[in-house]
Amino acid sequence: MRSSPGYIWIRCAAIVLLLLAVTGHAADYDRALPGYHYQFPRDNFDHPRYQTEWWYYTGNIASSNGHRFGFELTFFRQGISRRPNPSPWYVHDLYLAHFALSDLTGGRYQHAERINRAGPGIAGADAAQHAVWNGNWRADIEPNSQQLQAMTNDCRMDLRLTPVKPIVIQGRNGISRKAAGVGHASHYLSFSRLLTSGSIRVQGVRYTVSGTSWMDHEFFTGSMAPDEEGWDWVGLQLDNGTELMLYRMRHKDGSVDPFSSGSYIDAGGRSTFLASADFSMRPDGDFWTSPHTRGRYPLRWHIAVPRFGLDCTVTTSLDNQELSSRFGPSYWEGAVTVQGRQSRALLRGVGYLEMTGYAPGAANIEFP
Amino acid sequence: MPYLCLFLRLIVRPMLREKTRSLLVLFAVSLGVAVALAIELAGDAAASSFHTSLQTVAGEYNLEVRAAGGVPQSLVGDLARLPWAIRVTPRIEDHATVAATGETIPLIGIDFIAHANDPDGARFSLPQNTSIFNDINSPDALWVTRSLCDHVGGTVTLLINDRQHAYTVRGFLPSSAQVSGDVAVMDIDAAQQATGKRGSVDRILLKVPDRPGFAQWQQRIRTLLPPGVQLLPQGSETAANRRMLAAFRWNLRILSYIALLVGAFLIYNTISVSVVRRRAEIGTVRALGAGRRAVLLAFLAEAAVFGVLGSLLALPLGRFLAGGAVRLLSATVNALYVSSRPGPLALSTGSMALAFVVGIGVAVASALAPALEAARVPPTEAMARGRREYDVRVERRRDAVLAVLLALAAAFTSRLPALGGKPVFGYIAALLLVAASALAIPALITILMPVLSAALRRLLGVEALLASRSLAGSLRRTSVLVGTLSTAIAMMTSVAIMVGSFRQTVVTWMECQLPADFYLRPAGEPGADRYPTIQPGLADRIAKLPGVAAVSRFRAYPLEYQGLPATLASAELDSPQARQGTEFLSGQPSSVVLRALATGNNTIVSEPFANKHHVHTGDALTLPLGSRAVPFHVIGIFYDYGDEGGIVLLARSTMLRYLPDPAASSLAVYLTPGADLETVRARIREAAAGTDVLLFSNGEIRREGIRTFDQTFAITYALEAVAILVAVLGVAGALISIVIDRRREFGLLRFLGASTSQIRGLILVEAGLIGILANFVGLLLGYLLSLILIYVINQQSFGWTIQFHWPVAVLIAALSGVYAATVLAGLYPASVAQHLNPIEVIHEE
Repeated sequence: MRSSPGYIWIRCAAIVLLLLAVTGHAADYDRALPGYHYQFPRDNFDHPRYQTEWWYYTGNIASSNGHRFGFELTFFRQGISRRPNPSPWYVHDLYLAHFALSDLTGGRYQHAERINRAGPGIAGADAAQHAVWNGNWRADIEPNSQQLQAMTNDCRMDLRLTPVKPIVIQGRNGISRKAAGVGHASHYLSFSRLLTSGSIRVQGVRYTVSGTSWMDHEFFTGSMAPDEEGWDWVGLQLDNGTELMLYRMRHKDGSVDPFSSGSYIDAGGRSTFLASADFSMRPDGDFWTSPHTRGRYPLRWHIAVPRFGLDCTVTTSLDNQELSSRFGPSYWEGAVTVQGRQSRALLRGVGYLEMTGYAPGAANIEFP
Repeated sequence: MPYLCLFLRLIVRPMLREKTRSLLVLFAVSLGVAVALAIELAGDAAASSFHTSLQTVAGEYNLEVRAAGGVPQSLVGDLARLPWAIRVTPRIEDHATVAATGETIPLIGIDFIAHANDPDGARFSLPQNTSIFNDINSPDALWVTRSLCDHVGGTVTLLINDRQHAYTVRGFLPSSAQVSGDVAVMDIDAAQQATGKRGSVDRILLKVPDRPGFAQWQQRIRTLLPPGVQLLPQGSETAANRRMLAAFRWNLRILSYIALLVGAFLIYNTISVSVVRRRAEIGTVRALGAGRRAVLLAFLAEAAVFGVLGSLLALPLGRFLAGGAVRLLSATVNALYVSSRPGPLALSTGSMALAFVVGIGVAVASALAPALEAARVPPTEAMARGRREYDVRVERRRDAVLAVLLALAAAFTSRLPALGGKPVFGYIAALLLVAASALAIPALITILMPVLSAALRRLLGVEALLASRSLAGSLRRTSVLVGTLSTAIAMMTSVAIMVGSFRQTVVTWMECQLPADFYLRPAGEPGADRYPTIQPGLADRIAKLPGVAAVSRFRAYPLEYQGLPATLASAELDSPQARQGTEFLSGQPSSVVLRALATGNNTIVSEPFANKHHVHTGDALTLPLGSRAVPFHVIGIFYDYGDEGGIVLLARSTMLRYLPDPAASSLAVYLTPGADLETVRARIREAAAGTDVLLFSNGEIRREGIRTFDQTFAITYALEAVAILVAVLGVAGALISIVIDRRREFGLLRFLGASTSQIRGLILVEAGLIGILANFVGLLLGYLLSLILIYVINQQSFGWTIQFHWPVAVLIAALSGVYAATVLAGLYPASVAQHLNPIEVIHEE
């Protein structure tokens, strides 16, 4: 589960709640409970009865002459107030968004973030419009394709994403659990393989690109347990047509929560739930310390799923892919490559790695 | 070195010897420069402020979106979603009155959440561990400048529109916001609620990237906007206000130069007198080898000394006067143009340079003619002992012909149109007239003096005869004196006539324009760019009261038309009473035009609007209303003196079709015949309980109108007074020099048996004669100048039709005041003359 962004957002929400004393009370919202009945395409859009929600796009793309990029485009919604108020300016939800481009060939990482209220059409996630947007960053979600658009003063991205496999409902019984206890869970949906094509423009240079993307959509109300500090997440797209998603929830004492889990999606699109006993995911050196936040991140991971004969190493070609945020905690979210074996056959792949809770985030947050 | 020596001997010594006269001239010059400087400083301070308060906590933007009646808020989302790297910032911009102090302050509503995205956006200063988001949905949260309330949690009660509400201070504007004066900021949601502007915003600021270019961006975005919505370079409202204010400042600046012009006459007079008196000395230095250039330079240097010292003195004096001027000026600016609080008065390098350029320039220029004359004095003059009292030949005939030519030129020039919106030719015509009168004065004196002296001899005896003869004898000096004083009097008279005519016109206009028995408007100081509203229910409640025949709701919105600010208004014309009273240029009856106004897309415009935008009855006019551009048919042009930018008036029913906000800006209440005024007043007060509205009876609103009028012209009156003061000082100085000049004559008279009181009488009669002549010439010239002011300068600058009216009482009071001051100015020289020792004087002979 994209617990990572989720968690980020949870932490962010926690800070928002704590530091900003924003009025949204978790009690006003529904919690993620087993037995949720999903309906598509409606469930691709907003769930205002849940306090926190995000749409998380990451991907590995390259131009025809081999210039490689990674991208992240995330839309967050955080419930603030459920009081009925007809004014569009009344803040029922805060909408945040993150956009990052990793120029893997050029060795350059850039990111931007924004925060808005729904306002008169400024931001939102609306089934009627088939869209999730924050200003002019948007995802248009149609059943057979999705369109992404994001831009800053010096870069711009326009991508068309086509799902190769049906949507995956992560976890069991419609919830993805993050810790022991009722409600420490989320409703977690993934498009694990989206064929991607389009263009990006970085510093005046336009690239026609293609590649593979991953999309996570989660909604929940306060899912993280109090003793949890962060998480590590990977979403890997392997060149044999399978995908692997794993997350581990880290406790403050360094131990890993037994509710960490994952899923394996075979080439036919069938998903298998992986409990924490089904896999191992551990840091394997290559520590990098962020000059911005002083957070120390392990950039090399060893992953094994004995059930599927999987044994591989995840590395990145660009160390600095930390998204240091002004409005929430900072986290590392970057494009990675996979090398290893599955049942003795050589295996390669690409993916995204997310690590949260490493940066002493709150101290750096600049609130308006 | 010889130049310096010459300067010291020929110029400095006499200056030091005649200290009183030199000081008077110096003071007059410095007063003239100081007034010009003060108006400049005060104008800068008054004009700078509305810029800064409107721009409060706006980062760096380059375009703005506006619409009459407000920009539909859906446009904010539409613009924010455009697939370009544009920053979009909606704003509510209004005013509030602080209940505790009565001060009117800008009230700004911004989207605090989106504001966090702006890297250049001002960061508010808040208590630790809190953020602006804490109170994001609180309708009572307020952020202020520290001068308004200095602690978080404090309460500030604001009057917004017709209601008071207590707000809680949550934090402060950053000092980096560079705000002049107090400002209150709210979140956009709270601000919309407080100002009753649900559904719209006042302005959307845009920041577009540098490429592909500003013009392309404008074009690209404009095509996406509804037709009634305007896309303008950021700050164009300020620019539009500035443009309108520019005409006002320009006219004010010209008025401020009157005192300087009078000062110039004075320097001319002083230097002329020195040249005349020192002809022998000049002849001597010429005989001793000084060149013409040296003499010319020496006298120009004398003027320059007055200029430099005068300007130096003018700096502190101007700064001091600016303090008073800025108060008067900002009252005018607020009433006529735009809400503003004066910024700090700064004596900049530029303004100091101006003082010196103007001071020295005027001094040297006015000394040029006498200095040239001095340079022409032949060395033989030194030997011509017999010609001590050389009297300059005055070419009366030639000057009179010139005067007529100049007057004709003035008449021609006054017919020319405005230049760049400024009545340049009107002022040139005025200057030509002043010059013509100066040239005509010798001829006038020659004609008038015999008549006067005959009359005076009978009345006042031999002193009068001597006085008039002496004046006619030294025609040149007398002419300059009369010219100085009459110019000042003419300036005063003309402005008095103009203002008096204007005032009378406004009074007459109000008689018909304000036919209702009661008027209501929201409390708070009115201002030209403030449009507070009364809640809709009140009008209905009042209409139902017994004794009330009809209520007419008037609504005004700000409008920018062709780059100039104007007012878009609607009036309710359902009742026959409400259709009375409007006077049209065409002379059509009010009821006919106003009945037609209520049908179809018809409009009437005020005279200043018609003049500024060249609109005629029958023209089509496209108005931006909400998000639409609607064509209207102009069916009349009405007289209005309340709004300089001009008014476009629609019927209320027409306006509501496009801008459906039912709130009114003011209400006119008509009583049923025979209803008791006081009873109904009490009922209205009761109906209005809980709202903050002001209730005026017909008489009260007229008095209020006149009070505003007088407040507006206060600065004009002040400038007049200074010009007169300078002129009277000048006369005093001139009379002193006459005495010094005529020591020999007075000594001789005393020697021949004249008593000291006779000498005194002689001088006072001379002063009085100068006063009479100056009053006569001044009144005549003033009348002509007032015609130019009313029919040329006012028309071209402001576009108002003013009915000519003699403000008899004001003129009589002012002229007799000046006359008395002139005679009084003769007292000191008279006492000097009295104390001359005849024996000593004769001995000098």
